[in-house]
Amino acid sequence: MDFDRNDRLYVTDESHHQVKIFDKNGSFIEAWGRGNSKASNLSGPSGICVDSQGEIIVVEQYPGKITKISSDGEIQFSFGENGTNNGQFDLPWGVTVDREDNIYVADWRNDRVQKFTMNGEFIMSVGVSGEAPGELKRPSGVAVDRQGVIYVADWGNERVQIFDAEGKFIRVLQGEADLSKWSVEWLESNLDQYRAREESTLMMNDLPEHLRTPYHIASQTEPIFWGPVSVVIDSNDRLFVTEHSRHRIQIFELEKSGVT
Amino acid sequence: MTYEKRVEAAHLARRAGFGASPEELDTYEDMRYEDLVEIFIRPDHVTYVGDDLIFRRHPNIHAQLTHNPMHWTYRMLTTNNQLEEKIALFWHGVFATGEGKLNNFGSANNQIEMFRRNGIGKFDNLLLELAKDPAMIIWLDNQTNHKSEINENFGREILELFSMGVGNYTEQDIKECARAFTGWSVKNADYMTLMAESDSIWPYGRIWWHFEYNEDDHDDGVKTFLGETGNLNGDDIVRIICKNEATARFISRHLYTFFVADEVPVPQWSNVTPRDPEAIDILAKAYMESDYSIEHMLRVLFNSDFFKEARFTRVKSPAELVINTLRASGTYDDIDAADTTVFTVMEEAGFMGQKLTNPPSVEGWHTGEEWINSGALVDRVNFASRYFGDCGNSGVMKMATRVKSSLKNDFKMNELIESCLNVFGHVEISGSTYDTLMEFAKSASISVGDPQNVTEDQITDLFKIISSSKEFQMC
Repeated sequence: MDFDRNDRLYVTDESHHQVKIFDKNGSFIEAWGRGNSKASNLSGPSGICVDSQGEIIVVEQYPGKITKISSDGEIQFSFGENGTNNGQFDLPWGVTVDREDNIYVADWRNDRVQKFTMNGEFIMSVGVSGEAPGELKRPSGVAVDRQGVIYVADWGNERVQIFDAEGKFIRVLQGEADLSKWSVEWLESNLDQYRAREESTLMMNDLPEHLRTPYHIASQTEPIFWGPVSVVIDSNDRLFVTEHSRHRIQIFELEKSGVT
Repeated sequence: MTYEKRVEAAHLARRAGFGASPEELDTYEDMRYEDLVEIFIRPDHVTYVGDDLIFRRHPNIHAQLTHNPMHWTYRMLTTNNQLEEKIALFWHGVFATGEGKLNNFGSANNQIEMFRRNGIGKFDNLLLELAKDPAMIIWLDNQTNHKSEINENFGREILELFSMGVGNYTEQDIKECARAFTGWSVKNADYMTLMAESDSIWPYGRIWWHFEYNEDDHDDGVKTFLGETGNLNGDDIVRIICKNEATARFISRHLYTFFVADEVPVPQWSNVTPRDPEAIDILAKAYMESDYSIEHMLRVLFNSDFFKEARFTRVKSPAELVINTLRASGTYDDIDAADTTVFTVMEEAGFMGQKLTNPPSVEGWHTGEEWINSGALVDRVNFASRYFGDCGNSGVMKMATRVKSSLKNDFKMNELIESCLNVFGHVEISGSTYDTLMEFAKSASISVGDPQNVTEDQITDLFKIISSSKEFQMC
């Protein structure tokens, strides 16, 4: 989902092949896509973002293409198709733009992020398949800060990876959550569990060999990312990482924490 | 000869897998039977819909207790390593673990994965992995089996239900066994137990468990178990159990029941002679001569005469019936992990009496004729006939087209029925079922003689009758 400059919220509805639009109070405005007059051929919209011109960029995962739509619902153009070459996609997911409105797509099943101009011309590809630093496994989301540094939700590797503006690997974020205030409140209401938790070791460093995979480590180690599906940077240079399997958002202050 | 080979291959595919399509039988009929057995045991290039796609489509799967059967269904529907899933079903029935008590999707799922990983390996290794399996530990409370105060639950079941069967050990052996498994627990046992009990995803979702050996809580005193004395630990217990003749026979009888022919329920085994004692002797010998290799036992079993002659002597379990029907009818040939009907389709097996990952007790399900009661039978018949009666399912259309193209000019009604039975994997029917099919064909005004006058809809109507027959309930 993303907001435009008028605080209209655009949400992709993947199953219904639609984009739904709401005002800032949550009231439904209209839908585009299947069953509607606007952008009626949308196919499995997944990622979505709004560029500086107020145009909406939608990832259509099934045909493997990126579609730019005006704020009044008119399709401007599309680019991409299914495949593995540059400019092609395999079940793409997240999308974002940088300050120049270049477009970055998490090309999920091709294990890479692709960067395009605002007109859809290919610029570069970031990442290759794998688990080593700098390699990607089913990336689901991407964000770019004001310096052009690229943050990738490396979903299949249960981590976030950071690349410079040229696509060179910088570092890995593995997650380092502690308890939120709501969690503390909940645990204080469940004191037996709170006490048992305090006597527990939440970092798992002794898994047997068959469990030493990103998924198993993440699923058994609470503080680190598990299911980091989305990365977003706000206007205060804070990085928000959403973890669907931990029902949690980890927030990093990029400058203070020296992440980059 | 070709026909006989197809019949033999179809039988193997029903038992080592979930059945074979007519097109698959076309490829099998050129192979030596022994080679086909090897393909089922060790297939090349295993493919199935991956967890990445499933987790993308269902990111909440990790919070939902009931999603394990659905997750497993994706694999059973799409894998070409069907024996791996059958052996996982087999061990799930023997080492029955209920997720309701676990309240932990991942740990239940990891146990099924453990069955896939070790299911056709050495039995001693499998039993050791089972003793270390977190889901089993919590299921049978071994995290509360302490040096200071033993809990006999796991110690009893590993002997009674998992390896030897009653009558082959004493109550004292159970106690000594439990002592040997003290300290075999899960990491953060107290916290994990409380989290399971609280049934909440707070504060941060589930945490899958993993095994931890707590040496401080292990009773390292001298024990005597099945006549052996020493400072025995859990792995010593497994070693002693596995070399016992009773274990060889118990596991053989389980394999026979699942893969060859229905037996009486396990609690009666100590009193009732095996259906085929000679077959149990052969399998027990295979167990011993291979150092407890399940793979070797299966190879011997599938190549044996007693197996080849045992066509249609087992009642399909609900899970087998559901997956067999869905694979054969091609309902999910182009499966998309976003298809949420997979969530509900395996619930049908629950209505028929087998809710995967939720067995009625540690004893597992009673099988064979006990699968059948009036309610379950109606569910089974309705389910199968619904899918096989729908020409919109790609597999059904292929079957119907194949039947039609097999008919010669001047064909007779019995040839049409025979052809229909063949595309069902050469189902062997009784005279009364044959009469019913003939009667139906006549009442449906199916014209004999010119194949062009037979419609796909008429053929699928016959499919509905076949899938409603008592013979279709068997495999």
